[in-house]
Amino acid sequence: MELIEARTGHFAVSCRREPETGAGTLQRERQLNQFFADVERRALRIAEIAVRDRDDALDLVQNAMIRLVNKYASRPADEWPPLFYRILQNGIRDWHRRAKVRNRVMVWFGRETAGDDYDAVAAAPDPAGRSPEQELQSGQAMQRLEEAVHALPGRQREAFMLRTFEGLDVAGTAVAMGCSDGSVKTHYSRAVHTLREQLGDHW
Amino acid sequence: MNDPNKSKRDAEFAAKAKGVFDDSVERLDGAALSRLNQGRHAALEELAQTKAPASWRHWLPAGGVAAIALVSVMVLRGPAVDEVPDEVAADFEILLEGESLEMFEDLEFYSWIDEAALHVNGNVG
Repeated sequence: MELIEARTGHFAVSCRREPETGAGTLQRERQLNQFFADVERRALRIAEIAVRDRDDALDLVQNAMIRLVNKYASRPADEWPPLFYRILQNGIRDWHRRAKVRNRVMVWFGRETAGDDYDAVAAAPDPAGRSPEQELQSGQAMQRLEEAVHALPGRQREAFMLRTFEGLDVAGTAVAMGCSDGSVKTHYSRAVHTLREQLGDHW
Repeated sequence: MNDPNKSKRDAEFAAKAKGVFDDSVERLDGAALSRLNQGRHAALEELAQTKAPASWRHWLPAGGVAAIALVSVMVLRGPAVDEVPDEVAADFEILLEGESLEMFEDLEFYSWIDEAALHVNGNVG
């Protein structure tokens, strides 16, 4: 049985399991549905920024959902967010590892690698009743932020997105990243410093 | 020692980044939302699938015990131990194995194989 130790008083992930009954199973299904509905859109954007491919990001999110159901559905619902993001981050790391291997093989066979032809503007969300100026401003700001976040070292990117975009606290982020609270603070601080240097305070 | 101005600027930067990010989340297109919806339901179907075999396995030991009890009764109350037909013994062996039960779902297929084998050997027709 996998056991993730409690890290702080604010957040704990244990091997606690909720008792299962017929009504409990239905309630669990409703809770999982609600949890996924709450988290899936942010998770998609976080995965998309990390891998810069929407289809792959959608696959990563779906796999994370399935794995959470298979492995951790019986855990208390308050433990799901860091566990879900731990699974998602592992999936993203695996994706990058496979991409590196794929690129090495392509180079070995004398073919060019696919490169990063992801177009953040083309993948940008649809407008939602806002003026073209607002749309342009927000779209441009997100494009610059997305490119800067993507360029961060992997662990800094994870810490920044989990803390800032998903809103996990330090302990939850540590569980999701599989590292200590201190490492999360260091990665996050470096990420914010780098991003502010690149984008400026009023990008 | 931490610079309070730096901490404040970091917090402001993070708040703006969060706002821009949330904005992009709100404006995800319908195709992406549809795929997320499908993915969510696929994951929840896994929950149903993992429950069904678990309950079946839960009753398997009870089924095995019942089959053993039935064999015991037949052996003890029957005419003689060596008169238990081989076919009956084979059937109980299959039942006790537990994993061959799906064979009974394809009885027509197996009877067809038997008939085909008989035709090949020239015993029928």
